[in-house]
Amino acid sequence: MSEIALTLGPVFFHWPPDRLLDFYRRIADEAPIERVHLGEVVCGKRMPFSDPAWPAIIERLERGGKQVVLSTLAAPATVRERRSVEDLCADDRLVEINDVSGLPSRSGKPFVTGPFLNVYNEASAKFLIQLGAQTICPPVELSFAAIGVMSLKCPEAEFEIFAFGRLPLALSGRCYHARIHGLHKDSCQFTCEKDPDGLSVDTLDDQQFLAVNGVQTLSNQVQAFCPAPAALAAKGVRRLRLSPQTCDMVEVARIYRRLADGKEEPKDARFALSCLDLPGILVDGYAHARPGWQVTATA
Amino acid sequence: MRPLNAEPMLPGFVRHLFPTVAGLPLGPLLTLSLRALAGRRPGLFERLGEYRSACFVIDPVDLAFAFRVVPDGQRSSVRVVSKDEAAQSDVLIKGPLLTLLGLLDGTLDGDAMFFSRIISISGRTEAVLALRNTIEDAELRPADLLGLRGSLARCVDTGVLGALGVARRLAENNPSEARKA
Amino acid sequence: MTMTRMELVCPAGTPATLRAAVQAGADAVYCGFRDETNARNFPGLNFSRDELAEGVRFAHDHGSKVLVAINTFARVDDVDTWKKAADSAAESGADAIIAADFAVLDHVARNHKQIRLHLSVQAAAATPEAIGFYAAQFGIRRVVLPRVLSLQEITALNRAIDVETEAFVFGGLCVMIEGRCYLSSYATGKSPNLNGVCSPPEMVSYDEEPSGTTARLSGFTIDRYERGQPVGYPTLCKGKFKADGKTSHLFEDPVSLNAGGMISGLKAAGVTALKIEGRQRGKGYVSEVVRAFRKAVDAVEKGGDAIDVDRLLAGQSEGARQTAGAYEKKWR
Repeated sequence: MSEIALTLGPVFFHWPPDRLLDFYRRIADEAPIERVHLGEVVCGKRMPFSDPAWPAIIERLERGGKQVVLSTLAAPATVRERRSVEDLCADDRLVEINDVSGLPSRSGKPFVTGPFLNVYNEASAKFLIQLGAQTICPPVELSFAAIGVMSLKCPEAEFEIFAFGRLPLALSGRCYHARIHGLHKDSCQFTCEKDPDGLSVDTLDDQQFLAVNGVQTLSNQVQAFCPAPAALAAKGVRRLRLSPQTCDMVEVARIYRRLADGKEEPKDARFALSCLDLPGILVDGYAHARPGWQVTATA
Repeated sequence: MRPLNAEPMLPGFVRHLFPTVAGLPLGPLLTLSLRALAGRRPGLFERLGEYRSACFVIDPVDLAFAFRVVPDGQRSSVRVVSKDEAAQSDVLIKGPLLTLLGLLDGTLDGDAMFFSRIISISGRTEAVLALRNTIEDAELRPADLLGLRGSLARCVDTGVLGALGVARRLAENNPSEARKA
Repeated sequence: MTMTRMELVCPAGTPATLRAAVQAGADAVYCGFRDETNARNFPGLNFSRDELAEGVRFAHDHGSKVLVAINTFARVDDVDTWKKAADSAAESGADAIIAADFAVLDHVARNHKQIRLHLSVQAAAATPEAIGFYAAQFGIRRVVLPRVLSLQEITALNRAIDVETEAFVFGGLCVMIEGRCYLSSYATGKSPNLNGVCSPPEMVSYDEEPSGTTARLSGFTIDRYERGQPVGYPTLCKGKFKADGKTSHLFEDPVSLNAGGMISGLKAAGVTALKIEGRQRGKGYVSEVVRAFRKAVDAVEKGGDAIDVDRLLAGQSEGARQTAGAYEKKWR
């Protein structure tokens, strides 16, 4: 049976540099993960805080035998943000493209497409593969079945499915953390730092629904797609993406490693995940072509 | 000033011109004209798609009865039903008769009437939307419903639309009287 | 140097609305097929193949253009449906295809070189690099700008690219970056990218409760209104939510875009075409809005004062408040 690899996605939240250093030190030393995505994806204004931390983190992860992928901004706008995308695309490491803005400078060199890039069908996937896409992580709303069809039709690339974490649902030009605190985006005071898992958004009837993280909107619930390895192999899907939250991500990685190696049943993996300190309940609707908030797994 | 939602109601004397009990030949007459319309303009009903077989109850609040409509082309049916029977439907549309007629001929905008609560809708929202979009595109004139053509059709259109206009003005000028009546 | 006249691009959800828009002074009308290939896939809306051909004839006879939106993302294993829609649009004699998916853009660029390609707002191309990429790969002639750019950003963008830009001036306002928002599918299973619908009507309910009328989408409470007060459509991003102990229209107030006062600013920013949103709106609405913007654009083109569009549209803005959106930087 072919190996199922694990990817740690980029941190969506505004974690201070110390927290990032601690987090990735543990990942480097303890997490059974093959590939780690690094970089600010959500908000260019946070980059001056995290940028100085990355060289040491990259060095540490690579020393720990991890493959480092440099993630780029999902919605670059300013000259500085656009330049950062271009600079990262010039790197010899693998780069994650999250906006078409990165394609001109990366075409011809290998890249990963992240869930912010709209790859919905095999024809679009082939178009990107011919430009250099090696790994494709399609938008979160696409079902496992649909990703499987793409994967079987495009064996030349590796397909990755967003398996764990709050789901990235939307991006805006407007910052909701700033708006909630009565501030303007341009002088936001980085209030998003107070919510390292995002700020919960409930309905008027107190239903848990969404979460905001600066300009990003996520699900309140936590995606926990736990497929049997045979099901992944049958569809040719060879990677699972785990998206960082403040819970014990090393433990999350261990659970998924056991699942992917066939050492733990899906329902046991879900139970183990549900015991962690998570910001929301576990859901898996999207993977099963249902509304994303729904729970289809029985455990 | 008119209070919010005081949409023109039919003046009392006009309402008395309508039959006040269910079961008069209005239903068969409207069924025939709807089927005739389907014969002349089949494309119109295609726009409804799967909602052709849906059951729409149109309940003019200023009349004593309601209409139960299944707009299924040549198999269309219109029945005059009592207000009690009106509950059994896929969609229930309630509003003043003049407003409902205004929606039918495109004089009034359905969205505006709904969001300001002059008409109320319950049931399958998607079926209402399909009906509303179909009526929008149909550009129906009174003569279309009666199956008339040529100069007679123009005469009827002018007459009926003119009369509706007069009725609306009458009602607008005296909404309180109309409400009481 | 005299710049070319700005083009007024107007919505048409049905053939009757297309005729109404043309007669009200639209330079171009955009519409889509009655299926999932376009981003306004609502029941009873849109065009059959024959209706499109007839619409194109009518528009051309009256000196207007027709742009066909095939701007959702093709479904896996069903890309041919989208390709065939593009083929039909080309055969109808339409003037342009508006698309977002690489697969659709690539198909049109390879097989229908005679028809113009416009990049849909669903592609969310907002930088010179992104727009330049689409131009180099597919030969797009125009980009419909995301509704999150300010006037200054549009000005700078137009200096850096050599394709035309089209900017929204009126109608429903997306707060999220279009084409990259999955809120609707998260709640309902249907989304703009996959199904051409946002907050689909079959998932909407209005429930009369002691506390008022509650508008729900797929069971999630989106807003609540006092009895007898005007209600709104429960579009997810316009709802009222609780966060950080506060209840508010967190994402966006229930407002609609009106950039009528920005027409001369958009012209100075180098924008080629002004777009009115609302393929789901009736012909009465479309006629009135198009007529008002026709007057305003003509006034600006003659170098005169901008006509007071707000006053011309007083009837349409009743109830719903309006905003100039992201064109003013304070929106953020």
